[in-house]
Amino acid sequence: MTTEPPYSLEVRALLERERDIPPLSAAQRTRAMARARAALATPAAPMVAPSRATGPRRWIAAAAALVASAGVAAAAFELHGRFWPAKRAPVETSATVELRPASTPKSTTIENEAAPPAVEEPRPAAIPAPPARSKAEASRAELRLLREARAAVARGDFAGAMAPLTEHARRFKNGRLVEEREALRVKALAGLGRTEEARRAAGSFRARFPRSVLLPAVSKMSATPRAQTGD
Amino acid sequence: MTADEACLDAFQRELDYLYRSLRRLGTAPSEVDDLAQEVFLALRSSWPEYDQTRPLRPYLFGIAFRIAAAHHRKWRREVAFEVVEMPDTAPAPDDVLLAKQSRAVLLSALERIPLPRRAVLVMHDIDGTPVEEVAAALGIPRFTVYSRLRKARRELESAVRKLMNEARPQ
Repeated sequence: MTTEPPYSLEVRALLERERDIPPLSAAQRTRAMARARAALATPAAPMVAPSRATGPRRWIAAAAALVASAGVAAAAFELHGRFWPAKRAPVETSATVELRPASTPKSTTIENEAAPPAVEEPRPAAIPAPPARSKAEASRAELRLLREARAAVARGDFAGAMAPLTEHARRFKNGRLVEEREALRVKALAGLGRTEEARRAAGSFRARFPRSVLLPAVSKMSATPRAQTGD
Repeated sequence: MTADEACLDAFQRELDYLYRSLRRLGTAPSEVDDLAQEVFLALRSSWPEYDQTRPLRPYLFGIAFRIAAAHHRKWRREVAFEVVEMPDTAPAPDDVLLAKQSRAVLLSALERIPLPRRAVLVMHDIDGTPVEEVAAALGIPRFTVYSRLRKARRELESAVRKLMNEARPQ
């Protein structure tokens, strides 16, 4: 970058800190690479869009937004006190961009900002779909179901997570994401307070995936269900 | 090394950057894994067209932007995601805590900027990508890069100021 952005000191400090990219955890990295390697086993295919939120999920997202706003405000308050304990001078609001000579862009992939990328409409996960036509299609369908389950678990909707998990088990009994599915099932069961079932599911997980990177988390979930699920 | 192996190797090298870029583009922590896989699938499909003499990050960011944009259009969510993450209860040194708070505030401020402008700002002002590369990666004219950047900077200033004012004790 050759131009100095005309930012206030506060924003510059925030941007400066953001430039340090935090490393992923070993487990996250391992999981991402394992999934990428598994995807290489299928023929290359065009990208697909994620699934659509249903009505109740939007309400939950709105509720999450309220919680999120409170959290960000707390972080901002903390930062404010640390970074700028004294009363700040007014921040500069004018922003100018220095034009620099540049070459013509090499390629054009988006015509304008309103033009959507070529994506196919996903079908709702809850509706039974016809059998996948190819391995790539099956992979994407698996991803969609697991994404839905994971999002439900992340927002504490454990009952909502069970439907996509069951659907995944029905359609992809031995799919490539079965390990993740079973870990999510343990978490959802524990979150629902179905402790005994969670323990049994964790035992099956341990037997089936003895070297899984998810095993420590699965064991913890089934041992202390409420504490681990954030309830 | 086959094309698939080269693509996988590139994906592995830039995994941290990719995950962070997806977060900057407003992807929820619970969805980053899946979107990163979609980026990988798209990268793999387009790998033969990728000019390997050009830097990878802008190219990867362009793919991540298109996938994140498609995702946003479908979900139409406007959740400031940072605090939906699982809370980290481990004791953290002050500078680590400060960095986390800085990131939370910046991500929240970025959330308030429309995605096409946010992408330009992130690429240019955070990643340090030259304007020409931004234009090439996002498939827009350079003039559009400049105009989006100008507006996005004002929006970022305003969003940060608002967040700080909201947090200031009355």
